[in-house]
Amino acid sequence: MRAVWTLLVDSYRLLRARILFWIALGISLLVGVVYLSIGFTETGVSFLFGAAEFEHDVLRQGTDEAEILYLGIFSRFIVGLWLSWVAIILALVSCASIYPDFMSEGSIELALSKPVRRLTLFFSKYLGSLLFMLLLSGSFVLLVFLALRWRIGTWNPSIFWYVPLTVLVFSYLYSVVVLVTVRTRSTLAGVLFAMLVWFMSFILDFADEMLYTFSYEGRPDEELYEDELKLKQQLQKWHRVNLVAFGVLPKTKQTMLFADRLVVVAGDRGFSERDFANLLMGGMLPEPVGDEVDRALRRNSVFYILGTSLGFEAVMLGLAALGFCRRDF
Amino acid sequence: MEPPVIELSHVRKMYRGRVEALRGISLQVPKGCVFGLLGPNGAGKSTLVKILTTIIRATECRGIMLGHPVGHKPTLKRVGYLPEHVRFPEYLTGAQVIDFSAGLAGVSPRRLKVRKGELLERVKMSEWQRRKVSTYSKGMKQRIGIAQALVNDPEVVFLDEPTDGVDPEGRRDIRNLVRELRDEGRTVFINTHLLTELEQVADRVGILSKGRLVREGTLEELTAAQRQYELRTQGPIPPGLAERLRAGGATTGGNTVTIDAQGPEPMQPVIDLLRSEEIMIRSMHEKRLSLEELFLEAVQDGPGDGEGGAR
Ligand SMILES: Nc1ncnc2c1ncn2[C@@H]1O[C@H](COP(=O)(O)OP(=O)(O)O)[C@@H](O)[C@H]1O
Ligand SMILES: [Mg+2]
Repeated sequence: MRAVWTLLVDSYRLLRARILFWIALGISLLVGVVYLSIGFTETGVSFLFGAAEFEHDVLRQGTDEAEILYLGIFSRFIVGLWLSWVAIILALVSCASIYPDFMSEGSIELALSKPVRRLTLFFSKYLGSLLFMLLLSGSFVLLVFLALRWRIGTWNPSIFWYVPLTVLVFSYLYSVVVLVTVRTRSTLAGVLFAMLVWFMSFILDFADEMLYTFSYEGRPDEELYEDELKLKQQLQKWHRVNLVAFGVLPKTKQTMLFADRLVVVAGDRGFSERDFANLLMGGMLPEPVGDEVDRALRRNSVFYILGTSLGFEAVMLGLAALGFCRRDF
Repeated sequence: MEPPVIELSHVRKMYRGRVEALRGISLQVPKGCVFGLLGPNGAGKSTLVKILTTIIRATECRGIMLGHPVGHKPTLKRVGYLPEHVRFPEYLTGAQVIDFSAGLAGVSPRRLKVRKGELLERVKMSEWQRRKVSTYSKGMKQRIGIAQALVNDPEVVFLDEPTDGVDPEGRRDIRNLVRELRDEGRTVFINTHLLTELEQVADRVGILSKGRLVREGTLEELTAAQRQYELRTQGPIPPGLAERLRAGGATTGGNTVTIDAQGPEPMQPVIDLLRSEEIMIRSMHEKRLSLEELFLEAVQDGPGDGEGGAR
């Protein structure tokens, strides 16, 4: 236990010495402040701490619409761009050299010559690497949590779900970095492969969604003409092929989408894309639909998404750990 | 007698890429001595120590260290190690390096508190302990390296090229420290390619060449095993006589006769012969090989099987 703790403390010290970590925190702060500068008044919306104000009937202090809009800006624009995209890239890049550095000549000997199993060393180092993402996303969400209280007037602890979710997505991708860097000691190769996996996952997810829509939704089979039915069956076949390919990859996008179910707004309403889009288009908030589930979850269950993604991560880490434990340094 | 601290028989290591770094090492290191492993670069010294500290796995190894088979992780609680070319993370201070080592070695925080101050004092790094390792000179890094190796109060300490890149004063400090460690009852195992380092501190020496242990023993034994007697005459020895002496196994120079022998007895007939020819003897003395001569000889006529261990 003491060894694990020592390695975690060491990871924290390593983190603090990384310039990229401070840059990322700085950007976080900046994004957070910009978000904070949006507010609602008695009569409408204000931007840049009141520098610009717009009057609006429903988007004003105290309405559900305002809360959904405010949270929507966070979950769609800020999480979508910054937290689940740029921040993860920054974290991948800064953490890519952790294993090669740890394994470099003159340095690995210090750790390996101690009465600690190699597997313990390996996984403690892994846990320590997740600290980067944890601290980055944790501090950011905390800022947003405070912003919500200030601007909307409610404490919304459910947004802390974004912390484990971003760390989870980061960990899927970081497992690729670990495998590649342990095997090749090349940080560049590690980052490139992780990006490749991420990109593939994104593309196949998109293909999955499209193929699913065209092959299972729409009019029932009885109403289709013969050639339409053929095409539909063809598409269903392709969907199954895609499912196999996509099945083995980590589901980064779908994991992030869990947040929509976990984060609640305006009392007990789940956050939904539809509500937010409606508001952005200047429309009104539709009546809540009782058992509305989002598209991704309709296609794939939580169990499937998490299971296959964590399975992928386990395989990557298993192979990396095997290499690490059996290697002569 | 106490059992040896390290007892190895037939340790072999074949690296991937078919480099045979160790070709059957058998070795015993008694408790409480300074053991020096000497050998040119690439002889396999570091490989041997890395096997003992579980950093690499031997291809074949029947060995016991501190009563447990080599590779038994918990035994390492009682072992200290300073790697060759040691590199500490640049973001740590000297004191934090010691904390790190202590944490992994399972030293309790309370114990560490006492021990850290002592150690930093001992390696003369107290003033520098709060500076980052990246600002240290090579010699200072070695000092911190030795301190971290001692943090768990080890019974056996491995120092791989401890004086590498250290200035003369630092070398002297390290030698003194090694003697102190031995006097405290620890066993110190030093790897080096520098003989003069060992000559002054080692009780026992092993000479490693191309993966084989070619000599092993106390410094006394090793140099004595190569004892010679040399006799000088006044004026040159006549060729005929020199011929007869060489036939008897002696080596002759212009006015010297040398014999490999453990005692002065074999020299007596030579003296008789020279005296009977009325040659004046100026001096006779016992000659021991210096460690350097021994080393060079051992390494040269070591295992000449030409399989090409060290490239
Ligand atoms: N990780 C390794 N992989 C392959 N060969 C190695 C490795 N480490 C050392 N060697 C080879 O093993 C031999 C012994 O090396 P080493 O034990 O470092 O010698 P020394 O410490 O005596 O200088 C050398 O020929 C070296 O090239
Ligand atoms: Mg060496």
